[in-house]
Amino acid sequence: MSDQEKLRILMVSDFFYPNFGGVENHIYYLSQCLLKLGHKVVVMTHAYENRSGVRYMTGGLKVYYIPWKPFLMQNTLPTFYGTLPIVRTILVREKISLVHGHQAFSTLCHEALMHARTMGYRVVFTDHSLYGFADVGSIHMNKVLQFTLADVSQAICVSHTSKENTVLRSGLPPEKVFVIPNAVDTAMFKPAPERLSSDEIVIVVISRLVYRKGADLLVEVIPEVCRLYQNVRFIVGGDGPKRVRLEEMREKHSLQDRVDMLGAVPHAKVRSVLISGHIFLNSSLTEAFCIAILEAASCGLLTVSTRVGGVPEVLPDDMIVLAEPDPSDMVQAIKKAIDRLPQIDPQAMHLRMKKLYSWHDVAKRTVIVYDRALRCSGQNLLERLSRYMTCGAWAGKLFCLVMIIDFLLWHLLQQWQPDFDIEPVPNIDLTQCQHEEISWDFNEAESLR
Amino acid sequence: MQATVSEISSPALHKWKKIAYGGMQPGFDDNHTDESFLEAMVMNANVVRRDMLKVMLDSVSISEYLCIVALVVLVWTYTLRSTFSDKSLLLLDVSLLGSGFFILLLTIERFSFNLLLSYVLKISFFITGLYVLSPIYHTLTRSISSDSIWALTASLVVLHLFLHNYSGFTVKFPGAVENPTFTSNISLNASVVASLLIASRLPSRLHVFAIVLFSLQVFLFAPLVTYCIKKYSFRLHLCFSFALMAVTLVCVYRLHRLLFVFLLAVLVFVNLLCPYWLIRIQEYKFEINGPWDEAKLCFNIAE
Repeated sequence: MSDQEKLRILMVSDFFYPNFGGVENHIYYLSQCLLKLGHKVVVMTHAYENRSGVRYMTGGLKVYYIPWKPFLMQNTLPTFYGTLPIVRTILVREKISLVHGHQAFSTLCHEALMHARTMGYRVVFTDHSLYGFADVGSIHMNKVLQFTLADVSQAICVSHTSKENTVLRSGLPPEKVFVIPNAVDTAMFKPAPERLSSDEIVIVVISRLVYRKGADLLVEVIPEVCRLYQNVRFIVGGDGPKRVRLEEMREKHSLQDRVDMLGAVPHAKVRSVLISGHIFLNSSLTEAFCIAILEAASCGLLTVSTRVGGVPEVLPDDMIVLAEPDPSDMVQAIKKAIDRLPQIDPQAMHLRMKKLYSWHDVAKRTVIVYDRALRCSGQNLLERLSRYMTCGAWAGKLFCLVMIIDFLLWHLLQQWQPDFDIEPVPNIDLTQCQHEEISWDFNEAESLR
Repeated sequence: MQATVSEISSPALHKWKKIAYGGMQPGFDDNHTDESFLEAMVMNANVVRRDMLKVMLDSVSISEYLCIVALVVLVWTYTLRSTFSDKSLLLLDVSLLGSGFFILLLTIERFSFNLLLSYVLKISFFITGLYVLSPIYHTLTRSISSDSIWALTASLVVLHLFLHNYSGFTVKFPGAVENPTFTSNISLNASVVASLLIASRLPSRLHVFAIVLFSLQVFLFAPLVTYCIKKYSFRLHLCFSFALMAVTLVCVYRLHRLLFVFLLAVLVFVNLLCPYWLIRIQEYKFEINGPWDEAKLCFNIAE
C-alpha cells in the first residue's frame, strides 16, 4: 500500500474502554482492522477515573484520554469551546487526515467534529442509536444532531432502520448516509465443543436489567414459559434497577431452582454463559442493531427477539424467531423456537456467522466511506454558514453564531501557537513488535496475506 | 467477500433487501436508498381532531374557577375596606360550608353517613386549630410593608391560577385513585400563603380567623365541589358556571370599571380566543412514528 493511500484517522467518542458497550466495541474492532489495513488510527476519549493521558492498546492503537471528567452517564460537560485547544493539538500533532465521531449522545464527539470542521478537516459521523420524536429530550437531542450533521462530510448508521431514523432527525440527504452494520468477533464466540443434551432446554438472557431492555417483559414471560414446559430453565445475566422485580417474580412463582440470576457478567465471561444455553432471549424495547444477538448466534444459539428497531435486519429468518413486544406473543415465539431446536446445529450456525459478519468487512466498507468523504470539496466558512442557516429560524442563527465564534477562537489559537510550533509525533510501527500479543483472532487477515 | 455471494445466491440475486447481514449487497453501495426507504413511517397516527364547540365547553371550567378566585379577591378587598364586618364574614363561612356539604351530599352517589361524620370531625378539628392559631397569623407578617404584601399576594394568586389543575381537584376526592399532582400542590400552597399574607392587614383576630377560614374553604374545596357538579351533570355545571360568571362580572363592575374590562377580556380570551387558537394550530401538528420508536408495553407495571 502506498503512503498516499494511507489514512490517518482520529476516532472521537466519550465511550471507549474501560467502559463497555456496543459503541466501545465498535470503535475498538474497527480501529484494529483499520490498523491491519495499514492506516493510522488514533482514538480520543475523556479520562476514566485516573486513566488520563496517552495509552497504547493492542496493535499500536494510540488512545488519548483527555483530562476532562465525565459528569453524566459518561458524558463530558458540554462547554462548546473548552476542547478546542486540545483537539487542535491532537489533530496537528498526529497529522490527522480525517475525523470520525461516534454516537449521538457523546458531547465530546459533537465538539470535536465542530472544531474539526472549523479547521477544514473532513468528518464522518456514526450514529449507533435510535431516537423518537415525541418527548422533550429527543427534540433537543435531535436539534444537536442536526447541528453536527449539517456540515458532516458523510454519515454512517448501523442498520437501515437507524438510517431512516437519522435521515428524519437530521434532514441529511439519504445518499450521504451509509449503512455499515456492526460485526462480531466470531473467534471469541465459538460454540461449545460438544452439543448440549436436549433433555433440558436452557434459555439465556444477557442484558442490563433496565426498562429499555424490556426487563418487565421478562417478568411476564419467564413464569409462563416455565409453566408450559417443565424441562425449561432460565439463566439471566446482567444487573440493573429491574433485577429486584425479576427476583420477586422468581420468589412469587417458586422458580428459584429454574431461574438462575447471575448478576453482572463481565464481557470476557459472556461466551461461557452463552454456551450453556440453547436459546438466547432478547426482550429490548428499542435497539438500533443489537450486538448481543450476534454474539449469541455466533455461539450457536437460536435467538428469540422482540421485533423492534433494526433487529429484524440483523439475522436471516432461519436463525431468529421474532415476536411483538407483548408477553403472549413472546411465549408463542419461544414455543416456536423450542420446536425448531432439533434442526439447529451450533457448529454450522457458527460457520455461517463467520461468513455473514466480520470486522474486516466492516473496516473495508468504512474505508470506502472515508474515501468519499475525502473527495468532498472543501468549503469556506461562508458556504458552510449558509448550510447552518437552513437548520431553523432561531436555531440556524444560533448555530451560525457558535460556528463563527469557533472560527475566531481557532484563529486566535493559531496566532498564539502557530501550527509549525506543534511538534508532530514520529511514526513508530508497533504492529510488528506486538504481533504475538494480539489477543483476538486474525486468521482471516493472515490467510489473505 | 466470496462467501457472501453464496449466502445470497437466491434467484433474486439483484434485488436489494433490507438486511444488515452478509456484507455489502452485490450491485449496491452502502448508501443505496431503496424505494422502500421510510416506507414504515406513519405520520399523525394518534392525533385527535378536536371540534370548536367541545373545546369551548371544556374551557368553561377554567373561567369558572377564574371567577371563583375573583370572588375571593373581592371578599378580601371588601374586608380590607371594612365593608364586611367579622359577623357577616362568619355567616358567609357557615353558609359556604353548609352549601358545600349540601352539594356534595346531592352529587356523590356513595356518600355514607360514616364518611360525612369523618368529614365533620376533620373540619371541626381544622376550624379549632385555625381559631387557636389566628393570633399568630394576625401578627406573623405584620412587620412586612403593605406594598410588599400586595405585590406578593398578587403574584401568588397569579401563580396559583397558572399552576392550578383545572381538570381535576386539589384535595383527594373520596374514592379517587390518582393523587393530586405536584404542580397542583404548589398552586394550593401559593393560595394558602396569599390568604395568610392578607390576614396580617386585618383589624382583629376574629377577622383573621374568618377570612383565613373562608379562603381555605374556597381554595381547598371549591375545586372538589365544581368537580362533583361537573361529574353529576354537565348541563348543571354549565348553568352554574355562567351564573357564577354573571355574578362575578356584576360585582367587579361595581368595584372598579377597569378591573371589569380586564376580567371580561380574560374570560373572552379563555373561552373564545384560546379554543380558536388551539384549533388553528392543530394544522401544524406533525407527529412521526416508525419502527425506531421505543415499544410500549401493553400491560401495567406494578412496582
